[in-house]
Amino acid sequence: MTTMVRMEAITKTYCLGEVSIPVLKQVDLSIAQGDYVAIMGASGSGKSTLMNIVGCLDRPTTGEYFLEGKNLTTLNEDELAYIRNQHIGFVFQQFHLLSRATALENVMLPMVYANLSQQEQHQRAIQALTSVGLSEHLAKRPNQLSGGQQQRVAFARALVNQPAMILADEPTGALDTKTSQDVMHLLQELNEQGITIVIVTHDRDVAAQAKWIIHLQDGSVVNQACNSRL
Amino acid sequence: MSPPVRYRRLSTVKVLMMAADALWSNRLRTGLTTLGTIIGISSAIAITSIGQGVQKATEQKLQALGTNVLLVQAGVTTNNSSQGAATLTWEDSQAVSQQVTAAKAVSAFLQKPQVQVVYAEQKIVTNLIGTDKYYPEVKNIYPQEGQFLSQDDVNAANPVVVLGSKVRDRLFGLNASAVGADIRIQGERYKVIGVMEPKGALGEVDQDDQLYIPLTNMSARIVGNNALAGLAISGLWLKSNSEVYLDAAQFQVTNLLRLRHNIYPPQPDTFRITNQKDLINTLNSVVGLFTVMVVAIAGISLIVGGIGIANIMFVSVVERTREIGIRKAVGATNAAILHQFLAEAVVVSCTGGAIGVGVGIVISFGAATIFQFPFVVSLWSVATSLGISCVIGLLAGLIPAHHAAQLDPIVALRSE
Ligand SMILES: Nc1ncnc2c1ncn2[C@@H]1O[C@H](COP(=O)(O)OP(=O)(O)OP(=O)(O)O)[C@@H](O)[C@H]1O
Ligand SMILES: [Mg+2]
Repeated sequence: MTTMVRMEAITKTYCLGEVSIPVLKQVDLSIAQGDYVAIMGASGSGKSTLMNIVGCLDRPTTGEYFLEGKNLTTLNEDELAYIRNQHIGFVFQQFHLLSRATALENVMLPMVYANLSQQEQHQRAIQALTSVGLSEHLAKRPNQLSGGQQQRVAFARALVNQPAMILADEPTGALDTKTSQDVMHLLQELNEQGITIVIVTHDRDVAAQAKWIIHLQDGSVVNQACNSRL
Repeated sequence: MSPPVRYRRLSTVKVLMMAADALWSNRLRTGLTTLGTIIGISSAIAITSIGQGVQKATEQKLQALGTNVLLVQAGVTTNNSSQGAATLTWEDSQAVSQQVTAAKAVSAFLQKPQVQVVYAEQKIVTNLIGTDKYYPEVKNIYPQEGQFLSQDDVNAANPVVVLGSKVRDRLFGLNASAVGADIRIQGERYKVIGVMEPKGALGEVDQDDQLYIPLTNMSARIVGNNALAGLAISGLWLKSNSEVYLDAAQFQVTNLLRLRHNIYPPQPDTFRITNQKDLINTLNSVVGLFTVMVVAIAGISLIVGGIGIANIMFVSVVERTREIGIRKAVGATNAAILHQFLAEAVVVSCTGGAIGVGVGIVISFGAATIFQFPFVVSLWSVATSLGISCVIGLLAGLIPAHHAAQLDPIVALRSE
């Protein structure tokens, strides 16, 4: 099995004036293609920071990050934007949909930047929304959709450029138990299709579905265990 | 894994369409933002157009009077009244007519303002001119009815009169027939032999509000002698062969009269010459100055409009920080964000410019219709206005768009 993500001695330090705050300390991480990893840890332990680095939204202070064997540490902003667009799908706890755009337009957004034809954008967006069960709600704006539906729009947007990896930072954090389960099923399905999944969660039940659980504490990986359930 | 070139740049049309979309979804603000540009551009278009229309109207009037005409008046330049010193004589006008090669026709005249004229019960006061048969040709004004003074009338000092159209209207009623009637000018009886065509007023001189009698007849009434020899005249009109020879004619007339009157440098002329072309040039320079001022004012309002656009763009960037974060998170490059906001600024200001052009045209058309001057809109002013409004949008959008493009995606996403 090929390696999707390999991180070597990643650190992230924020400087607030004179004070430097180490948020990630020498994190080593390896995620295989087709893996399903859950990251857990107390609030403030650095989970989101780590996810943002994995998702190329942020850069580590030191250390090396290889995605599909390619060293990303030296890439410029445009190249990182391209990777975010083509290789990674990001799902946020707060959904982060464009409030003035419809579900369809939101899902089309990554394809706008991929410079696909209008027709192809349309077609693929409808397909993605259908695959998350929202074919009835194409023209609705986020404020006309429930939380679970909004999160599914976010998933459709993450999927639409056919990324190799989906990153979800507390995707069920804002959802009730029932809708959380829908999202979990969706993640399970995607993983079965061969997409690498990394989620951050506080919820043991959600984490239980993953193949691996990584525990973060004060910016260090303290425990990396194969899920006992498997 | 490196990005293909086509990924880096969206097509301009696409970017503009996205910008138009975003602006449309915030119509009210977009409308208010364009106001500065609309006001700037419409006032620039309206005022340049009105200026050009007025200029054209005045030029047409001057042209009707003849652009190849000189007026030589007796007396020195200082006082503006027509009763200057008696420095020009009938012989001077004959000499000008015979010796100035650039002259096509010369007409001598005597002038007396505020003369009382009576017909039946009607009593009016108007301007009396004694002249010769060359007057119509020189001044490009012809009888509408009857005929002008003939050589015989001048030779015999006949008591005949030709009326300006307005004098006819005032004495006989609007467009009433007057030829053949007898009127009294300062108590003396005159027979009306013609009525001139209307020409309209220009400045203080209303050509239609005048009476014409033979030069000799007038001199008899003023100096008690109808001989032309030695007669002091008020001045003469000279028509040159063409506009091109006007300056030459002026030069020749000046030299000839100075010689005849024994004036040598540094003595000044004892007559003054008005050149129709000078009038047009003066008019043009006045209109030009006016236009410069208007363009300056329009420029200032455009700058204010541009600052308004920049301001709104800054607000828009701050408001849409999260949107920028989202766009970057799904793969927008800095350049894509930069182009998006630049395009919005340009679309706003060009739309404002286009609306401004429309409003300006409507205003100037209205003004031209109400005040009766030709409606002129130059392609040049429209093209410049549109070009300037686009450039202003570009400049106004530059800093806010750069600011938006440089936002860190994580920071942008976290903003609310
Ligand atoms: N821009 C920043 N400047 C300074 N400190 C920061 C910044 N971003 C994050 N931190 C700090 O880094 C630490 C880790 O933050 P992070 O968001 O990764 O935590 P987390 O594990 O995701 O927590 P939660 O479960 O609450 O989401 C926190 O202590 C936070 O205060
Ligand atoms: Mg977090």
